[in-house]
Amino acid sequence: MVAIVEDEPAIRDNYAAAFTREGYVVRAYANRAEAMTAFSARLPDLAVIDISLEEEPEGGFELCRQLRALSAELPIIFLTARDSELDAVSGLRLGADDFLTKDLSLAHLIARVNALFRRVEALRRPLEASQIIRRGPLNLDGERMQVEWDGQVVLLSLTEFWIVFALARHPGHVKNRQQLMDAANVVLDDNTITSHIKRIRRKFQSIDPKFDAVQTVYGMGYRWVE
Amino acid sequence: MSLRLKLLLLALATLVLPWAGCRYAKEMESALREGEQNSLSSVAETMASSLQGRRDLLYREPRTPAVAADTDEGETSSPEPEPASPYDIKPILLFAPPFLDGYTDDWPQDRSAWRFFAQGRHRFGILTGVYERMLYVLLDVQDEHLVFDAPGASPLDPSAFGDRVWLGFDDTHGTQHQYLVSATAPGSVTGRRIETGEYGQQNAVTEPRIVGAWMPTPQGYRVELRVPLSMLGEHFGVLIDDRDARGALPVSYGTLRSDDLHTVGRLIVASPELTRYLRQFIQPGQRLSIATPDGRLLAQADALAQVTALGPGTGLLARLYRRFVDRPNARRIVEATASIYDRDHTRIVGSLKVSQTEDRWLTLRDRALTRMLNSTLLISAIAVVAILLFAARLAMRLSRLRAASESALTRAGLVTTFPETGAADELGDVARGFSTLLSRLNEYTGYLRTLAAKLAHEIRTPLTIVRSSLENLESEGLSPAAGVYLERAREGSQRLNAILIAMGAATRVEEAISGAERTRFDLVPILTSAAASYRIAFPERHFAIELPAEPVEIEGAPDLIVQMLDKLVDNAVDFSPAGSTITLRLRLEPQAAILEVDNPGPPLAGAAQSRLFESLWQSRTGGDSRPHFGLGLYIVRLIAEFHGGSASAISLPQDTGARFCIRLAR
Repeated sequence: MVAIVEDEPAIRDNYAAAFTREGYVVRAYANRAEAMTAFSARLPDLAVIDISLEEEPEGGFELCRQLRALSAELPIIFLTARDSELDAVSGLRLGADDFLTKDLSLAHLIARVNALFRRVEALRRPLEASQIIRRGPLNLDGERMQVEWDGQVVLLSLTEFWIVFALARHPGHVKNRQQLMDAANVVLDDNTITSHIKRIRRKFQSIDPKFDAVQTVYGMGYRWVE
Repeated sequence: MSLRLKLLLLALATLVLPWAGCRYAKEMESALREGEQNSLSSVAETMASSLQGRRDLLYREPRTPAVAADTDEGETSSPEPEPASPYDIKPILLFAPPFLDGYTDDWPQDRSAWRFFAQGRHRFGILTGVYERMLYVLLDVQDEHLVFDAPGASPLDPSAFGDRVWLGFDDTHGTQHQYLVSATAPGSVTGRRIETGEYGQQNAVTEPRIVGAWMPTPQGYRVELRVPLSMLGEHFGVLIDDRDARGALPVSYGTLRSDDLHTVGRLIVASPELTRYLRQFIQPGQRLSIATPDGRLLAQADALAQVTALGPGTGLLARLYRRFVDRPNARRIVEATASIYDRDHTRIVGSLKVSQTEDRWLTLRDRALTRMLNSTLLISAIAVVAILLFAARLAMRLSRLRAASESALTRAGLVTTFPETGAADELGDVARGFSTLLSRLNEYTGYLRTLAAKLAHEIRTPLTIVRSSLENLESEGLSPAAGVYLERAREGSQRLNAILIAMGAATRVEEAISGAERTRFDLVPILTSAAASYRIAFPERHFAIELPAEPVEIEGAPDLIVQMLDKLVDNAVDFSPAGSTITLRLRLEPQAAILEVDNPGPPLAGAAQSRLFESLWQSRTGGDSRPHFGLGLYIVRLIAEFHGGSASAISLPQDTGARFCIRLAR
């Protein structure tokens, strides 16, 4: 069951229709109170939340916090008309699995939702070694969408994971921004890719300060070096 | 004319103060003079009325009991003075005793004071004068034959008689006296009285109080005599005995009766008390004088030369100031006259004149003038200095204001703090007005700058509705014909999305700059790799790259540098024709690394040059399918400024293209 919390009825209905078509059961809510009432009765399997909800400009963040309190594993996707870096950072810090802007196409959104469900599935299954890509200290689990560096789990958002995955699968190959966007199922501008890369580096560096596997090839793109 | 100069000229107007002070001093002086004149007049009147009816004081008059009785009665009848006679002797007032030598040069040279008497061809002139308690008599006798007394002979021997002069007068008791003056040779003479003894014999008794000198002149002789006033009564006369030969019968003429030598004319002379009387009123710097109605000076008390308590100021400034105020050769004495009447107030018996030096009030005036001029000049000087300082400060504030307004206009980022806004005066109002204007302009520019981002945000929601609807529509299985429209609609929405992304670009760059981390890095490899990527991205342009041999390390964010380069190259590609060469150049200056991007193509328009790097400014004219919001070069400037540098643009020589020049601090 997918929960959509979105105050714009047209968008909400469109998303609901798309998810329904994909075979998901969809529950749509217009505001935080409505959503929270339903969630306390029964948790959804995945939640897509808009940040500004009717009267509350930051209602989505609050909802995410409450939802995270109810369940640590529940995949949460932020979907917003805002594209500020600050919003993305705070959304992800609250434990959302991904932070997307509304210019994302429905196909991309559904791909993401599918991926997140797959991950939930994979996390329930025992670890399969064959799925794991090893690049030096990096362990990349494509099924669980989980990254380890020096044996420590690096908590990446879905977009970030896909970027790392795209880079690490072919070390040394330069991936330009467009390729990275395609891999991450997003349409973003250059600056957003840059800030994603920056965030990825920071997350690795919090585990290993000497981390420099993600290299910038100025004017071209990025590559993974071992 | 600068404000400072204008105010200085204005300040000079305060010099009217000392001028007005001088005017005031003059007015004051004339007022003082008038007041002094008035007070002097009243002094004169008072003294004159104190002398009213005091003929006895004015003139030597015998104080007979009858007259005294008359006075006591207080009747209208006053002692009628004898009618004026041609034989009256009216001595003038002498200010120095003549030396008894027979010469006239120590007498006043005033011919009008001489009296002349003649008998036939004989003639003599007489001049009399009073000095203190002495009567001086000068006789100038015309005599063809000057005959001296025979020397050694008795003065009583008629055969020895030569030319003789008789003095006749009555004493204060009315008794007639006669003295003769004769000489045996030029020189001193002494008066002699002829006394008839007990037995009828006559004696010539020398009177030592009557002395003089006998001196021959070309026309005759001159006799100068001195007689104490105490000997004299009311009447006085002289008689000349003119002999043509010794012992001959004389021709006698003069102001005495020739038979008994009794007096016929009066001696009109002030009483000795008059001078004493006047002295009691005298004050330093004053002169009191009394004259007969016909103007002859009778008595005088003179203290003019005495230094008054207030001497005229001798300070340098005082003297200097006096030059401004005083007319040269101005009279330095004020005078007042008053007539002295007799008891009945019917006849004028004399006139009193009071003279006073101006020194008394000149000093007062000088003091006031000096003080006033000093203070007004000081005030003027202070005013000039104060106004000058004020002008300087005003000019400084104005120039500060001007500088601020100029810099506010030329700088792309408007200043928000403006000088002088705290001032309470009109300049403060102007500054506040400017400040308000600028802040409004700033708000407006800020609004414009964020408008794109806001618009992007607002459009995003309806666009999402359109796109998600289109995508849902796609899944509905439409006819191929409908699919075409769907595809077009999607393309349109994608373009809209691209527009949205472009509109938010500046905001995102600003965010990226605020969150950027500074590291030290080498510009050379970045430029090399970037140029390589541009060759791939823009196959229709050639890229030339000019780099220094050494590494160029700067501090900053390499991502942003590349982004800046992207924008510059994007711009260069847009404005250059296909197949042309775009040059990327890195130069070194001592303090900066200069990054230049040259592109052939149209030169920069003059007006555009300064505004190129402003937000929301663009000079593109050609139609272009890609959205442009004039943000690209604004982003370039933001990034250059983040690196402590600046961005500028010039046209290439011969207007063959444009050069964008980015200065980065090393």
